[in-house]
Amino acid sequence: MEVDSVAQQSSPSIEQIDRADLVVGILADLSQDIVASVCEDLLTIPGSPRIVVLHSPRISDSASAGSEFSMQDPSLFLIPWSPQAQSSLATPVEDSLAAYHSIFAIAERLGARGCSVIASQLEDAASKWVCRLTEPLLEMSFDFVAPCYARRKFEGLLNNSIISPLMRSLYGKRIQNPMGPDLGVSQRLFRQLLTADQNGKLGTRGMHLLASLVPEGLCTNLQACQAYLGTRIYPPVDWTHVSSLIAEILGPVFLTMERNAACWQRTRFSSPVKALNEPRPVPQTTGTVEIGRMVNSFQLGIRDLQEIWGLVLPPASLLEIKKLSRLTPEQFHIPDELWVRIIYDFALAHRLRTISRDHLLRSLTPLYLGWVASYARELETTEATAVEQRLEHLSLAYEAEKPYLVSRWRWPDRFNP
Amino acid sequence: MWDQVKNALHQSTTGFVTRLASLLPGFVALIVALLISLVLAWIVAVVVRRLLASMRFDERLARWGLSSTAEWSPWRRPTLLVSRVVAGVIIASGFLIGIAAFDSDMTSSLVRSIFAYVPNLMGAILVLLVGTFVARFVSRSVLIGAVNLNLGYARLLGVGIKWLVMVLTIAMALVHLRIAVGIVELAFGILFGGIVFTLALAVGLGSKELVTKSLERDAGKPPAETVEEPFCHL
Repeated sequence: MEVDSVAQQSSPSIEQIDRADLVVGILADLSQDIVASVCEDLLTIPGSPRIVVLHSPRISDSASAGSEFSMQDPSLFLIPWSPQAQSSLATPVEDSLAAYHSIFAIAERLGARGCSVIASQLEDAASKWVCRLTEPLLEMSFDFVAPCYARRKFEGLLNNSIISPLMRSLYGKRIQNPMGPDLGVSQRLFRQLLTADQNGKLGTRGMHLLASLVPEGLCTNLQACQAYLGTRIYPPVDWTHVSSLIAEILGPVFLTMERNAACWQRTRFSSPVKALNEPRPVPQTTGTVEIGRMVNSFQLGIRDLQEIWGLVLPPASLLEIKKLSRLTPEQFHIPDELWVRIIYDFALAHRLRTISRDHLLRSLTPLYLGWVASYARELETTEATAVEQRLEHLSLAYEAEKPYLVSRWRWPDRFNP
Repeated sequence: MWDQVKNALHQSTTGFVTRLASLLPGFVALIVALLISLVLAWIVAVVVRRLLASMRFDERLARWGLSSTAEWSPWRRPTLLVSRVVAGVIIASGFLIGIAAFDSDMTSSLVRSIFAYVPNLMGAILVLLVGTFVARFVSRSVLIGAVNLNLGYARLLGVGIKWLVMVLTIAMALVHLRIAVGIVELAFGILFGGIVFTLALAVGLGSKELVTKSLERDAGKPPAETVEEPFCHL
């Protein structure tokens, strides 16, 4: 019932289509030329599957593009579509997640075998990059296709510092971008996600859809792979809203961690997932970067948030953080082991509701900025290979410290070093 | 004449002794009631203390943001505070029962008025508890928000907001207890206004540079050159 109600809110033209093999939702602000190129690429998929492409009217406001493709090839329908309007209080992240939910619901209604979402703009895109998100679903029986982008050292920092290594350590698969945003999911996986959502497992309004992709997929032994798409263009940073971003992204990650505790406690080691093609290295900017502001933020946190951190972190971690406050920006360095323990302790505090969850996640911001400063100072003059090595080292630290998390998770009162 | 004096003395002595004798059962009843309430208070306090200890009451209170109660608790243990308050209430009840045993109009009306005051007392305690919780929550929100905005006076803001809410709460509780309502209202106005004025001064002086920059920008002067940062978070 809920699936139908969501699907009905899309454009009436979607009602005229009764079935599809593949649904592709375009959430990114792509130009008409790129949308046309995406459609042309999709038409090259072997077996002539019936494809529905949903795109926002804002990005190609003339209906001619859609009709043109429909007329050229009856197996592809380019349909103007806009996601369900959220309340005016909804944040961009909430809007975006609601759009994912709507696309999955439409794919479910049309009985699609797979569903892909294009949510970011690419510079230097790989050839037929959209097919790399869809073909593994239709031809290789994969259930989840995660994107892989060429890495610039200071991009995707929240993903690189927390989400990706945390999910790798928890669920045992080395996925570069476990929360997309570009992705492909099989019918099995999006059905599973929608059912879980209807049962209230993922929270209201599909809020935790992206955070649940990897846990839902891997804990039920679905197959995941990752495909190189190109170099992603990241949205500009709004420094005044970093704490909101952290709260909105990490909250669902910690919630899914709580719900899948039985699954991740069984996982011991990580293994690579099938990579369908290798990323191309991109030129890295070298030169000093300004980290003074982030170090200041970290030190301000040490000065003013100790009372709150004291409720979350064990004394040993708190002592190490205090020692860091005496370092100058040139000496500033947060050891990986300390950083990983901080994240694990925050995940545990989130589960135990030690303090209000929103306060907890927002109070992580100075520590996160401290890690970014430390990482930036280490890598400011290095090349691409060093970035990969550095992030691999961090991921290994997450895996090495996992017993600490398991012990604290099982015996939060007794195991308190 | 001496006979009359002797009679008067005899009558007054007899009257005094008779009245004293009539009060004795009341005294005995008061002492018995006090003894029983003391024993009962001790037993209940022990039970309450053990119950709260098994519930990890002190830690839970800290998690709920009421760790400040530890500061004015004996041995910094809110469990002890609660058990002693419960014991005190039982002893006070025993005392009131003992007083009522005199069966005089005065003691009865005293007991009645004390019991009529209990709802006010409970209401004031509730207001204090809720106010403390709200003060802690709002103070934390402000403190974390201010730190994340890199404001050097974040702690001052947090403490200021906390005391604003606490002053409001205490004033509400005192009005609820009907204690010097006029003085409380006046004192509340002065204190509240004082805190707001202090905060305004502190923030205003702290934001001097921000205001200067803002005025310069409005005056058409080019803003200071901003450094483009290469960081992207998501």
